[in-house]
Order: sequence, then structure tokens, then C-alpha cells
Amino acid sequence: MAKLEELIANEENIVLCLGNEAIARGAIEAGVQLFAAYPGTPSSEASTAIIAASKKLGFYAEWSTNEKVAFETAYAASISGIKAMTACKHVGINVLADALYSAAYMGTKGGFVLLVGDDPHCFSSQNEQDSRWLGVSAQVPVLEPSNPQEAKEFTKLAFEISEKFETILVVRSTTRISHARSDVQFNKYETSFREGVFEKSNRYKCLPALARANHPKLVAKMESIKEWIPESGLSVVEGQNDTEYGIITSGISYAYVKDALEILDKDVPILKLGMVAPLDEKSILEFARNKKNIVFIEEVDPYLEDRISALFIQNGIVPKIHGKCTGITKKYHELNSRLVAEALQSVIGGELASVGEIQKAEEEITDFIPFRPPLFCPGCQHRAAFWELSKVVRKNKGIFASDIGCYSLDPWVTDTILCMGAGISMANGFSRIIKDKPIFAYIGDSTFFHTGLTALANAVYHKANINVLVLDNRMTAMTGFQPNPTEVIDIADVAKSLGVEYVVEFDPYDFENGKKTFEEALQHEGPTVIIMRKICANEWWRQQRRSGQKIEVYHIDPETCIACGTCIVQYQCPAISWSVDTNSKGKKYSIIDPSMCTGCSVCSQICPVKAISKEVDIDE
Amino acid sequence: MSNTYQMIVCGVGGQGILTITDIIVMAARKKGLHILGSEVHGMAQKGGSVVTNLKIGEKLHSPTNPIGTCEVLVGLEQNESLRYMKFLKPRGIAITSNTVLFPISWKKDKKAADYAKEKIEENITKFDVKLVMIEAEKLAIEAGLALTQNIVLLGALSQVERFPLTEDELRDALKQRVPAKYLEQNLKAFELGIKTVKNL
Repeated sequence: MAKLEELIANEENIVLCLGNEAIARGAIEAGVQLFAAYPGTPSSEASTAIIAASKKLGFYAEWSTNEKVAFETAYAASISGIKAMTACKHVGINVLADALYSAAYMGTKGGFVLLVGDDPHCFSSQNEQDSRWLGVSAQVPVLEPSNPQEAKEFTKLAFEISEKFETILVVRSTTRISHARSDVQFNKYETSFREGVFEKSNRYKCLPALARANHPKLVAKMESIKEWIPESGLSVVEGQNDTEYGIITSGISYAYVKDALEILDKDVPILKLGMVAPLDEKSILEFARNKKNIVFIEEVDPYLEDRISALFIQNGIVPKIHGKCTGITKKYHELNSRLVAEALQSVIGGELASVGEIQKAEEEITDFIPFRPPLFCPGCQHRAAFWELSKVVRKNKGIFASDIGCYSLDPWVTDTILCMGAGISMANGFSRIIKDKPIFAYIGDSTFFHTGLTALANAVYHKANINVLVLDNRMTAMTGFQPNPTEVIDIADVAKSLGVEYVVEFDPYDFENGKKTFEEALQHEGPTVIIMRKICANEWWRQQRRSGQKIEVYHIDPETCIACGTCIVQYQCPAISWSVDTNSKGKKYSIIDPSMCTGCSVCSQICPVKAISKEVDIDE
Repeated sequence: MSNTYQMIVCGVGGQGILTITDIIVMAARKKGLHILGSEVHGMAQKGGSVVTNLKIGEKLHSPTNPIGTCEVLVGLEQNESLRYMKFLKPRGIAITSNTVLFPISWKKDKKAADYAKEKIEENITKFDVKLVMIEAEKLAIEAGLALTQNIVLLGALSQVERFPLTEDELRDALKQRVPAKYLEQNLKAFELGIKTVKNL
């Protein structure tokens, strides 16, 4: 990743960086003065970079408690004439949508940019939601860059367009743009940070009568943006004019189309849309009017295909449509240049090297490739907590509603994972209709402040008989160890002040105490909150190594080990594996990789024959 | 496309995949070559299967390498090399460490280690590729630091015919990228990687 100094250096320079860092640079070049965001893959690095830059450049930036809070924070700055920005992953849009839909009616003043990172293929997500539809449903313009350079330019441009039309601008990236690395041209920039000025106006109150008046204005605004796009240069036609075929595409799909046409050695005109909402109707109709076939290449939803097909009907032109409707690309998962080449070949022809032999070999070996799911890190306190919990939950046939975070990786007890904050609310629901089983909810510190608070207040209010387990690892670990309010707000105090009667804290490595606590909590009527507090083992391990502290690792006595697999197969610590050699009884045994062990001690506590102990230093 | 050099680096999260990707990228940049890469962050890094795509060349558009397009694969773990073998072109070069890291599904089976020894290589050879199997762990330990297995493979990569970066160019980038206090071990690992391929 690019260094902070490079990212903020005020000079003309070509820098190799991630797409997300290019977006951050775009915001810096545009002169963003207030930034607020909640982390979420694949958007996080953009926010991390802007927040790091803010400290050096002297503007305000924060990790907010959730996407809605972030959006509203940035929105207030915008309507006070300040350039503001927020960022989230696609599902973060659902959290901020309440604010977005009404803010769209009221409009903006200082440039306002909403970066959204979509995740086709669900690399790190719960769904493949397509944010381009915001352009239709929330009536906000959506820009879609096709590479890191464009990601930077479009972010900068988004601020300009936002100020020109007083509207929120969405910059929609996808994983393959955000996490692509390439050379990006950085430009000089001017910063003129100033005090915000809020001019009082009825415009910023979404009361029914005012909203009713604002809606026609919003529709007119989108119309005028639509009229303006052709002169913006955002719609680009490439290739020879051809009456037979034309390809319409945008974003990363454009990159696949370019590669695919080179592979097929074909020259077919392409219309690349930089702005996907509102649609540049003029350029689209001009491009399509004399063509017999229009091919749509886009990832996930048939967004362009459906909307532009309707446009064709409205304007009486009838090219044959090729796309999701004819099955040349799928409505799910990501594309690549091969898939697009196959799709285009089925329409325009061309030569494509066979991969039949490779596919045949692949079929033969598929069953032999082990599934390698992401796991809890060595020493992870979530693993310890879940191990302990699994005994309690199984014994009592409990129902376990988990949440979004590292703890989603639990292999033992989780029954449901829905979205941020849903664990406590779903536990509330279960507790209403299932009376003979204990109900558990599980949530991390960041998620607790994100959407867990309101759910807990609800549980207290309605006296839900649930056990809320908060794993406070002191940071937002999954998305890259971002800080959150747990640094300054004590979750136990919050729970108590909300009226939870049973609030207990303990160290998740301390099994004896944990067992006692769970048994006690189950006896309690009404909501309980059990907080397991311990800094993220991964971060702790890094801190120890950085400061040159010795980590006291554990080791397994080969002769005592009975190879029962408790530590390897059941506890699943990645630092432990089977030996290659055998012990004096001719049996394999467990070994701990000292380079991975964090010295958490849990394996020594669960070993049934006490074969695991702290490694004795030979020097001592 | 014909002038574009496509490759992938794969392994298990934590093996130093991003580090050697970085070194290749730095060297390519210094040489004035264009580079486009793609990596996956987030969940995939927690001991899961990790792959980075790299393209070096002139007209670079999409950041990923589809099936049957790569000249070379650098794999830090045998199962992962096998998993991504399909991305190699016919007769592409697979530089893979003989290291086997057991996924949890295999740890349940104590005989899996024996299976791994016999079968993975056999499965790799079902693909029409040139397999270069390297005892990376052994060589890294010989270099004085077990964590330099990735650098051993980088040394081997520098010897691949038509690879757009030379031994010296990679070595220079390596010097810049690794921490000074482990430079000696890293350089030795790099040399051992070169030597082991030359001796094949």
C-alpha cells in the first residue's frame, strides 16, 4: 500500500496505489473538509487513508459509530457549505438509507460524496446488493469508475458535480476496483478550509408539505443533470461506427470488455457510461439508433439492460438485446475477461482458445482440494469464548443468534447471522415464542455501538429473557483494527444504565470463571449482559512483537499426548497440527508451531491429559 | 494482450504472499513497466486461501487473470498451488513450495499427511504445466529464518525464462522491502532459491 506521505504529497506524481487509496487522493485533491465513515470491506482502505491524511492536512475526519451517523454528520457539514464525504460498503447503504432518501429531496450545498464499495462475488459480504439502483430509488446521481485512475478522477469530479447541482453524488466502486493496484497520476491541489456557514431555510426540514414541494424539484434536478451529461465527457464511445453491433457497459465490466475484444480480436463499438444514473439518454440513443444488436455487459443485476431496454421502447427503436435476458452473463457473481469473451463470442463470434483440457483436469482434482475457510486467529478470544459457550448452549439446547464481525466465523454454536445488530433483536423475537430453551445473543464491541444499543434498550423495555454476550476486543478487528467508542465508553456501564440488572465481566481465557458466570446468568429472569473483555489477540501479538516483548509459548509433551484431537480437531487452533514423526509408542501427537502461538493458555486448560504446558526456556 | 505477462501468487493467509507481490511490483515499477494487480482483503486473510493476480505489460485493463492465462504461478503451499493451477496456460510454470498446511477439514484425519505427500503432486501433474517443486521451508531454515520461504520462491521465480524482471532487479527491490534486521537472511534465502532452480 502507498505511504501516507505519498498520498498527501502536494505534487504531480505517479503513485502505485490501491483503488481505494486513489479514491482517498481524489477526495484530498477535491479539498474534502469533513469526512465520517464506518468501516466495511471493500471500502475501508479509502476511509483509513482519508482519516490518516486528515491529521496531517488539518481537516476533520472520524470513524463514526455507524453508517447513518456518518452520513448525517457529513450531511450537516455539506449544508453548511463545506465539502463533505462519507463511505461504506454496499450493505452500509441500508443503514444510512433513511437519511439518504430524504436528504436527496433537500439537496446539498458544499460538495457531498457518498462512496459505496459493492462486493460482487461476496468476497467479504453477506449479499451482492447492487448500489447502482440508488440512482433510481433515491434519485441521486451515481458515478462508476472503471479503474483506479478513474476512481480518483471521478471522486474529484463528484465534488464538482455535487456543488454544481446541489445534489448528493454516489461514487460506486466494486472490490476489483477498490482492491486493484496500479499506477495513478496524482495532481497538485489547493486546500482552502473555512468555517461552515449555515443559512437557515425551510429547505432542510422534511415536513410533509415541504417534502411534497421538494420532490418535483428533485425530479427536475435529475432531468437537468441528464441533459448535462453529454457535455461532461462521462459517456465515451470507442471503436468504429458499425450498424451491426454495439456494446453498452460501465465500471469494471468495461475493463473486461476491453480485454475480451482483444482476446477475440474484434473491433466492436463500445459505449462506456461513466455516470450510470441518471442515464445519458441522448448519447445512448445516438449510439444505439442505427444498430441491429445491442450487447449489455455488466456485473450482477441487469441494471443498464433493463433501464436502457425501456428507453429504447419509449423512443421506438428496436435493436435485438443481448445480456442477462439472453443468458450470456449471469445475474450473480463477478465477471472476468474470459467470461465476457465467451459472452461476446456467442453474439459477435471470434476465436477463443479452448480451456477444455484445463477444465477436465480441474474436474478430476476438485474433490481433492480441501475447503479452507477463514478461521479464528491463534489465541483469538472469540474461539475461547465460543468453546466455553458451546458447552452451555449445547447442554441447555439453547438458540444462538450471532452478529456481524470476526465472531461470525464461529464453527460451533451459531444459529443465525443476519446483519449488523440483528443478534439481540432476533434473540428478543426467539424469546417470545420459544419458552423452554435459553436464548443467547452475541455481539462485538463495535457492532454493539453500531446497532446493538437500540436492540438492547428494546430488550430491557420488554423484559426479554435473553443472555447478551458482548465480546469486547477493544477494536473493530475484522475490517482492519479501527478504533471505536469502546475506547472511552464502558459497555458494562451502558448496560447498567439501560437498566440491565445482571451485568458481569470476565476474561474469556478464564474458563473456570466463565462457566460459573454462564450458569448464574441462566438462572436470571430478564436480559443479562455478559461482557468478555480482552484486546484482540492478533493486535496484542503484533504489539508484543513490535515492542520486542517475548511471547511465552506453549508446547506439547509427545509422550503424554494421546492424540485425542481436542486441541486440533475440536478447538481448531491454527497453531496446532499433527506431528510428522511418531512418539515412542509409535503414535502421532500434536505439535504447537511456536511462531504462531500467542501463549493464550487455552489449549493447556482443555487438554484432557494435561500434556500442554508453558515452554521452559533453556537459558533459565 | 500478447505482450502482457500474467501471473498469480497464492498460499495461505500469513505466508507472505503480499510481501513478494510487493517486491515484484516495486521492481517492475522501477524498471518502468506498467503493472496491474488485484488482491482480496477482509475475511480472506484469516488463515484462508489467498491469491493475488498480477499483470505486467502495456495495455492493461482488467485486474484479474481468468482460467488458462498465466505464464507462471508461485505457490507457497501445495494445496493452494493445486487450487489455482487452472489459471496457468498450457505448459505454464508452477513454482510451488512443497509445504503442506493442513486445513481443519484434513486435521480430522491423521492419515491426511500421508495422502498429501503422495497425491498432491500427482494431481498437479494432471495439468499440462511445468512443475518446479521447491523445498522452501528447508531452504528458508538454511537461510536462517523460517519466514523467508516466500523469498526462496522469489529467487526461483527470477530464473524463469521470459519473466520480465531480472535477478538483480528483484534483489534490489527485496533490499528495499524487507526489514533491515532480517536483510541478510532474506538475501540468503533469495540466493538459495536461485541456486535450487539452477541445480534442477
